[in-house]
Amino acid sequence: MISSSAARVGDRFRRHSGLVVLALALGLLGTMYAAFAPVSQADEQKTTASAEDVREGQQLFEGGCITCHGRNAQGVQDRGPSLIGVGAASVEFQVGTGRMPMARNEAQAVRKPALYDDKQTRQLAAYVESIGGGPQLPSGELRSTDKDVIAEGGRLFRLNCSSCHAFGMGGGALSSGKFAPSLQPSTDRDLYAAMLTGPQNMPVFGDNQLTRDEKKAIISYVQAQKGDQDPGGAGIGRTGPVPEGLVVFLVGIVGLLIATLWIAGKS
Amino acid sequence: MTSVHDHSSPAGEPTVDVDDPALSQFDLVREGARRDGVEIVHYAPRFPVPGTREERRAERRIATLFVLAGLGSLAFLVIYSVWPFEYQLGAGRDKWFTPLLGVTLALAFFGVGAGIIVWSKRLMPEEIAVQDRHDGASDPAERKLTAATLLSAYEETGLRRRPLLKGALAIGVAPMGLALGAPFIGSLITDPKDDLFHTGFGKGTHLVRHDGTKIRPADLKPGGIETVFPGIPGGATNAHADSPTLLIHLRENEAEKAIANSRKGYEDAHVGNFFAYSKICTHAGCPASLYEQQTNRLLCPCHQSQFDVLDGCRPVFGPATRSLPQLHIALDEEGYFVSQHDYKLAIGPAFWERP
Amino acid sequence: MKRPTIDPGKSAAWTDDRLAVASPVRRLMNKVFPDHWSFLLGEIALYSFVVLLLSGVFLTLFFDPSMQEVVYQGPYTPLYGIPMSRAFESSLEISFEVRGGLIMRQIHHWAALLFMASILVHMFRVFFTGAFRRPRELNWLIGMTLLILGILEGFAGYSLPDDALSGTGLRIMHAIVLSIPVIGTWTAFALFGGEFPGTDIVPRLYIVHVLLVPGLLLALIGAHMGLLVKQKHTQFPGPGRTEDNVVGHRMVPGFAAKAGGFFMIVFAMIAFLGGVFQINPIWLFGPYEAAVVSAGSQPDWYVGFLDGSTRLMPPWEITAFGHTVPALFWPTVVLPGILFTVAMLYPWLEQRYTGDRAHHNLLQRPRDVPDRTALGAMAVGFYVVLFISGGNDIIAEKFDISLNAMTWIGRVGLLVVPPLAYYVAHRLCLGLQQNDRETLVHGVETGIIRRLPNGAFVEVHQPLGPVDDHGHGELGYAGWAVPKKMNRLGALGSSVKGFFVPIEQPTEAPVSPAPSRELTGARGDD
Repeated sequence: MISSSAARVGDRFRRHSGLVVLALALGLLGTMYAAFAPVSQADEQKTTASAEDVREGQQLFEGGCITCHGRNAQGVQDRGPSLIGVGAASVEFQVGTGRMPMARNEAQAVRKPALYDDKQTRQLAAYVESIGGGPQLPSGELRSTDKDVIAEGGRLFRLNCSSCHAFGMGGGALSSGKFAPSLQPSTDRDLYAAMLTGPQNMPVFGDNQLTRDEKKAIISYVQAQKGDQDPGGAGIGRTGPVPEGLVVFLVGIVGLLIATLWIAGKS
Repeated sequence: MTSVHDHSSPAGEPTVDVDDPALSQFDLVREGARRDGVEIVHYAPRFPVPGTREERRAERRIATLFVLAGLGSLAFLVIYSVWPFEYQLGAGRDKWFTPLLGVTLALAFFGVGAGIIVWSKRLMPEEIAVQDRHDGASDPAERKLTAATLLSAYEETGLRRRPLLKGALAIGVAPMGLALGAPFIGSLITDPKDDLFHTGFGKGTHLVRHDGTKIRPADLKPGGIETVFPGIPGGATNAHADSPTLLIHLRENEAEKAIANSRKGYEDAHVGNFFAYSKICTHAGCPASLYEQQTNRLLCPCHQSQFDVLDGCRPVFGPATRSLPQLHIALDEEGYFVSQHDYKLAIGPAFWERP
Repeated sequence: MKRPTIDPGKSAAWTDDRLAVASPVRRLMNKVFPDHWSFLLGEIALYSFVVLLLSGVFLTLFFDPSMQEVVYQGPYTPLYGIPMSRAFESSLEISFEVRGGLIMRQIHHWAALLFMASILVHMFRVFFTGAFRRPRELNWLIGMTLLILGILEGFAGYSLPDDALSGTGLRIMHAIVLSIPVIGTWTAFALFGGEFPGTDIVPRLYIVHVLLVPGLLLALIGAHMGLLVKQKHTQFPGPGRTEDNVVGHRMVPGFAAKAGGFFMIVFAMIAFLGGVFQINPIWLFGPYEAAVVSAGSQPDWYVGFLDGSTRLMPPWEITAFGHTVPALFWPTVVLPGILFTVAMLYPWLEQRYTGDRAHHNLLQRPRDVPDRTALGAMAVGFYVVLFISGGNDIIAEKFDISLNAMTWIGRVGLLVVPPLAYYVAHRLCLGLQQNDRETLVHGVETGIIRRLPNGAFVEVHQPLGPVDDHGHGELGYAGWAVPKKMNRLGALGSSVKGFFVPIEQPTEAPVSPAPSRELTGARGDD
């Protein structure tokens, strides 16, 4: 902190320091990006799309998405955002989980049966990728069954994910009608794409924040927990004390009330 | 054993010769009850004619319940002893251990309990008994005697006419109570000093991840968020439970808004589009970490306070009254995030000494 | 009849030779208990407490309340290699390594929830029937103290495993203590032995949880039962029942058998819950870390109303002269303080209001005291709004309602629901009373329709007692249950025979029963 004697001088500096730091940060950002990006991009671009796919994708786009996302995916005011630079991963997530196309404009797009099949989704993704690049999903196995990986994934899950998706992965409420969805129906690729692209209100977890191995660890943990039968009986949503309270009244108290009526009733 | 009303003698007084050989066992029961102020006004067997089909059916039902209970207990013992219960990830036989124990144990207890109740409802004689209450205060004479005893004990001490002793007693006993209480309270007292005003961050402390690694601006994409800890020994442990901080990378246009809304003294708290706010809710201390990257709100999952990241993390909904304190951050020579100094404000829930 | 030989047995004689207990033992066995389903609610709490003691002793054999940091190496692989406190590790050991440990943990937790739930419903019964009136004010006080101690005991137990949920709860408790004006900070530092969380609080809560509070609970439950035995149980009004007697079954054989059977059934219910429904899966929550939290973090249900009040509280903080009274203080310290004080003083408040300071051993049906019933409904309404708001995020998420809307629904509901509940309950009581009076005057509907000479159809009513010149019943309103159906009068066979299986038996043509006083309320209180 600036000492009191130097405060006046500091004030003058402070007025500019924001800019200085900003410039510094941007500079650094550029350097970093240059240093890291080529490696990861080279890694990610394993699934190269053919020109055919891009053309097919464009046709699909103009048939189903153009109303909201506009010509050349530039976006339409108050309807849909620009898709330039969102990348193939984002398209795969949004279209693959049925969130896009949206049925109507609402607080949040919800998972529903997908409108496009896998091939069409890939073609759409290829088209969006072709107009602005952006993050792509890696190919190959995204899940490990190694216990150390799962445990590490658990640590990361609790630190980064559980605050919204809950310990039991059932999801949770956000402000004003928004919510973090349940992870029950999510596939490995859904999870990876969601972390990579930060769909809707979910924060983005770039590859420098959660490395690809860390993302895979989280996926391993989530899928392991989903496949883990509850050791203590019915999981009742794995939601904690609320369903437990419900059960103690609806099963415990109601059951015992019936018993009291029987015991005290006339034989 | 028929329903007989006998009002001939007041309750509590022996009226029959208990050695009279003509008395039945139930006569004795009734006599005992009468001496206890209880009158059995109705006592009738459920099945006046023994051995009816209905009676045998009741017997069978009770027997079935007891047998079920026995089977439940046996099954419990078998499962408890031989069923594999070692935890295996996934779905396996071990996951049925606890439910099976619960069901068999419940069966065992239920069988015994229901058997006893059916027995008492179906086979035991039907009874209505009436007991006198003898309610209310003691007999006035008794009261008087007890009061006199108490008062006399007090007066014998002469406390009333010996004020010196009264005072001396007070002086002697009150400190004794304090002396007994002092260790319990005194040894618990810990001086809060100004601990609540400080976190693990200081001048030039690195912002590190849970695993201790430092963070550079390139590590966080726009719309990203990371929980960071002070880069000091044990900084990410519960020893520094007040230090967890959220490092948020805002998008360009949103960052402009946030910078424009900077509070006085916080104009230089951010680094570019990076902002650091305390993760500890100012309401009750939960991690307020549900970040909505489109609306730029932080939500606390405990009591649903909502904070506007673009407006100095001002509370916009819920019970929280104070903004999440902002941490002044900068970059060191190598481009890693550091704190400029500790939080200017006390983090976490409010307290009396906090202005 | 052949006289059976009376042989009390050698051991009985041996005991009586030394203690002379024949009379007190017989007096106890002859003690009469009234029979009503609602009198069994408190027993659920008692039996749950026994289960809590037994399962709790089991858990202490394996639980280690130490905050020493260890690295987990146990069989639960998703936590393998994670650093955690020894307390959390030993909780995992109980769950996964002790044979039958998990079901014991779950039984203990379910028993705790059931203990508190049955205390609540028992308290409702005592309140709405006026069982707290003189001479039982003292037992009401003891009961309230048991409720408060139960909450404290439950909270301490919830905090022991040092999982992420219990740590979050402790953190909020810390904030609540901090919020107390003047002494808050020093009290919090005294309790936690320094800054939150420190390493002292779990071992301290452990001794509170396994010794101090259970000791108090045990002593007070003893006193509660002792007073019950001394003062004898209340009873509903009915034929032959007066303020000066108890009508029912003697303890032996009738009451003891039923109570013993019920004991087993409560055990069975808890064992069933403990085995079939997973509770508090600490392995999903992970060890407590200050930066970790989960959506939908809740306390156990009996603390839920305080969580609700905290959520609904508007952001009102008082700051003056360099000091702060946080918003948290009002809903978590002041509100429960007022609620519990008013509830404890209620017997005296009602005495002052009604001027009724008489001895009461006969209960009142809720409808016969509309003011109290309505007040109670108001309190229940208030409590339920708080309780629901305590889980409003889960409700918002599961039923697709906006979280902010849920908060506002709760805030408005807290002001609107209680008066509404008061009004509705009051009208309901008066209506039910009116219905009883009408039956007393006009008799029971027989279902027989008669056509009058002028062509009008009327239903024949069976008077309950002697009638006057106008054909109106002369029975006065006595606060007893009034039979409303012919089979209640014994004119028809019971429509529901047994408990679960209704057997409609074709009976002979209904015979008009002799209207006699004995028949009124012959079915007493059920």
